[in-house]
Amino acid sequence: MAVNLMINGKATEVDADPQTPLLWVLRDHLGMTGTKFGCGIAQCGACTVHIDGVATRSCQFPLEAAEGVKITTIEGLSADSSHPLQKLWVEFNVPQCGYCQTGMLMAAAALLDEIPNPTDADIDQYVSNICRCGTYTRVRAAIHKAADMMKA
Amino acid sequence: MNEIKTTRRNFIISSLALGGALVIGTRAQAAIVDAEPWDLANPAGSVEFTPWLTINADGSVIVRATAVDIGNGTLTQIAAYIKEELDPVWDQIKPQYASTNRDYLEENVYSNANVGGALAYFSGRSTGPARMDTYMQVAASARERLKAAAAAAWSVPAGEITITEGVLNHASGKSSGIGEFVQAAAAIQLAEEPKPKDRSEWTFLGKKHPGKVQLPQIVNGSLIYGVDVIVPKMVYAALRQSPVMGGTLKSFDADAVKSMPGVLAVVAVKPGDNVPTDLKPPFPFGVSTAQHAVAVIAEHYWQARTALDALPVEWDDGPGAQWKTTQQMNNAAIAALDKPGEKVEVSTGDFDGVFKAARKTVEGTYLTPYCEQAPMEPLNGTAMVTPERVDFWHPSQHSQMAYMVAADETGVKPENVFFHQTFVGGGFGRRVFSDDARMVVAVAKHFPGRPVHVIWSREEATRQGRYRPLMAGRLWAALGDDGYPTALQGRVSGGPGFFVSGINDTAITALLPNVQIESQTVPFHILTGPYRGPGYNSNAFFIETFLDECAVAAGVDPMEYRLQIFGKWADIGWAKCLNEVKAKSRWGEALPKGQGRGVAIANWGMGGKADAGTTVATVAKVEVSKEGVLKILQIDLAFDTGRIVNEDAVRTELEGGTMFGLNMAVNEGLNIKDGQIVEGNFDEYPMLRMADMPAQINVHFGGLSDNPRFNEIGEPPAGVIGPAVGNAIFQATGTRIRQMPFRTQDMSWS
Repeated sequence: MAVNLMINGKATEVDADPQTPLLWVLRDHLGMTGTKFGCGIAQCGACTVHIDGVATRSCQFPLEAAEGVKITTIEGLSADSSHPLQKLWVEFNVPQCGYCQTGMLMAAAALLDEIPNPTDADIDQYVSNICRCGTYTRVRAAIHKAADMMKA
Repeated sequence: MNEIKTTRRNFIISSLALGGALVIGTRAQAAIVDAEPWDLANPAGSVEFTPWLTINADGSVIVRATAVDIGNGTLTQIAAYIKEELDPVWDQIKPQYASTNRDYLEENVYSNANVGGALAYFSGRSTGPARMDTYMQVAASARERLKAAAAAAWSVPAGEITITEGVLNHASGKSSGIGEFVQAAAAIQLAEEPKPKDRSEWTFLGKKHPGKVQLPQIVNGSLIYGVDVIVPKMVYAALRQSPVMGGTLKSFDADAVKSMPGVLAVVAVKPGDNVPTDLKPPFPFGVSTAQHAVAVIAEHYWQARTALDALPVEWDDGPGAQWKTTQQMNNAAIAALDKPGEKVEVSTGDFDGVFKAARKTVEGTYLTPYCEQAPMEPLNGTAMVTPERVDFWHPSQHSQMAYMVAADETGVKPENVFFHQTFVGGGFGRRVFSDDARMVVAVAKHFPGRPVHVIWSREEATRQGRYRPLMAGRLWAALGDDGYPTALQGRVSGGPGFFVSGINDTAITALLPNVQIESQTVPFHILTGPYRGPGYNSNAFFIETFLDECAVAAGVDPMEYRLQIFGKWADIGWAKCLNEVKAKSRWGEALPKGQGRGVAIANWGMGGKADAGTTVATVAKVEVSKEGVLKILQIDLAFDTGRIVNEDAVRTELEGGTMFGLNMAVNEGLNIKDGQIVEGNFDEYPMLRMADMPAQINVHFGGLSDNPRFNEIGEPPAGVIGPAVGNAIFQATGTRIRQMPFRTQDMSWS
């Protein structure tokens, strides 16, 4: 089934089974591999994208639901890695293996869009992604710093 | 410091664009940080000074890595060595993965005994002395050649020329980028090879702490992990292995799924279907043996997954099914402790006599379960097999092992096997044995001529692991009149593949005059493998919980007890670490009921010797509600690697290793039902998340002894956080935790 998608501001047509998770549409059918496969059951958040601005785990979001919504992936978070979170992730040396970090960034970006000055509890709630390398303390610090920078 | 042999072959100079490698019929196979991870020859106009180092005409520098970067920063570390000696522009240093094919063809050019040999990681660890000296020496040699070439062109003494930020300078005002002199430098024969700089002369190492070189590609999603590999004509495979390890595939009905969308083939894999080579792998090939499996190959991954779920398959479970429950296996491991171990690991003094005469003894029995490394990138790989050639793209933790496994599975000549190392979404030991590599190639060889990208589901990866072994341990101590141990006996047991390291070779066994450590293997069918801090991650829990029980029995504060014992150890790092965390954690300050502090100290890698390995002392402060809910309030740790070269890299590993060990202790434990692993995904095998962590893990640097070594840092913190938390739970509640994971233990109090 051909489905028209709007991804990172660009219209794209995909022909795939309507039940195919958006994750695999992005990765396999469109070659956009920045969105990662971690668990397949919306537990880990490695596949987080924005659907109409809301952080969404794309492994449980079927293609048929993706028509008519605005999809933003890590490739579209900024054109040139200039999102404050991306800059701070580098400055704070946040990632270790880095695999979960695009999902972390997308979750954190959606958080800051909704709550510009988040508390620790807000971060706990919105950024519940799994990082096996244990970067949580740096993720938290970078989100707080980004909130400060974006206020200024 | 290891002596570096500057053999002729180590200093082949090729002024040809494509270098010596082309002459003998290979291409340089490499992954690069900022491009597609394979197939990079030396660029036109470049010079390969040695197989480790190429300088390009534009002044950029290629340095080749053997130790795979699994998030621990090996690529950044080797770039730092080059920066120290050669001083190119930092961003112009391009780490690439060394070609395993070239290593084979050029007689272990990367892995010969002079430079580390075929070790647990291809050619050794990045901060090991052999690695460090090799990189620094080749960079120093290139620097001196460039200076000599410029000196000849400018008619000035070479000693008056400096290189700063990739530019050769002379006081006369002459100045040139290093790229302009690479061809001339290639022709220079130095009268004497320079030695690496002494540590006192370092300006970059130990002074700067650069973040990982691949960070820019991580944060925009462009870094290529194994699962991200896309090559022309690629197809996908979804995999199912015998649910009971060691079981066999009885039958499957391929016709039932062949007409499903995209399905191309259904293939079966069985062990012993390989075409053996005479290569000598770093680990015996047996650790990579394939399990019986079936795979569906389709044009797209989701098609393969969907068809696999619909595929009727029958298995013969085999003898592993006799293990009906986790409890049955736990009981068998503990029962094995009731009689003397089949193997005596250590025996010193008259432990028997001291025990018989002792007025006070302490005994404790402990258990740790099977645990899965669970790297966030599920196991995967892409292979194209033809009768003549194998191309293999894979997120290995040991590229040399994976390369040899690919040759061993297919029977293709090693010189025609091309292994392309990708970035790795977490390792933790899971991708070392290369059973995943073998499975990928074993599937792909049934669909020759097209690249097959095999991806494990999370459930498949979790249930088909090479786990941290189930282990039980029992310890006995005889205490003297002062309450301190005079003799120690220990027995450990576990399924095949369990480890005794961390209990037979640690400080307490070396310190006490009367010691016996025994071990006993129990015939479990579950496959095991390395998991962050093998052996140590169980044994440090056993021995450090037990020592805490001894302190309680003696009526001595657990910190003072350890300071007394380890203050006598020849390695001053132990007492330094304890004193550091004692001060920084505010040890001894009163806490409200339901809160407690616990301490643990252990060393990874010491092998029974002082001034070796990495020591970590950790203090955990916890709160336990009356209902028994555990919260970690604060973590302080001090460590002794001897010395460090990148403060922030060390800090990240200590933070990450502590979190990993905390999750292991609190959350992780696989269950067995009828021989199968029960847990499949993160809903059943929980992981700590942001909300579970204290805001800070406080890493303190006051434990460093300045002993001349730069020891490992990733594994050491994983062993101590568990016992520190367990000991803190005791202080908070009076309940002694002797079994992992802690979440299964009743900690409620009133």
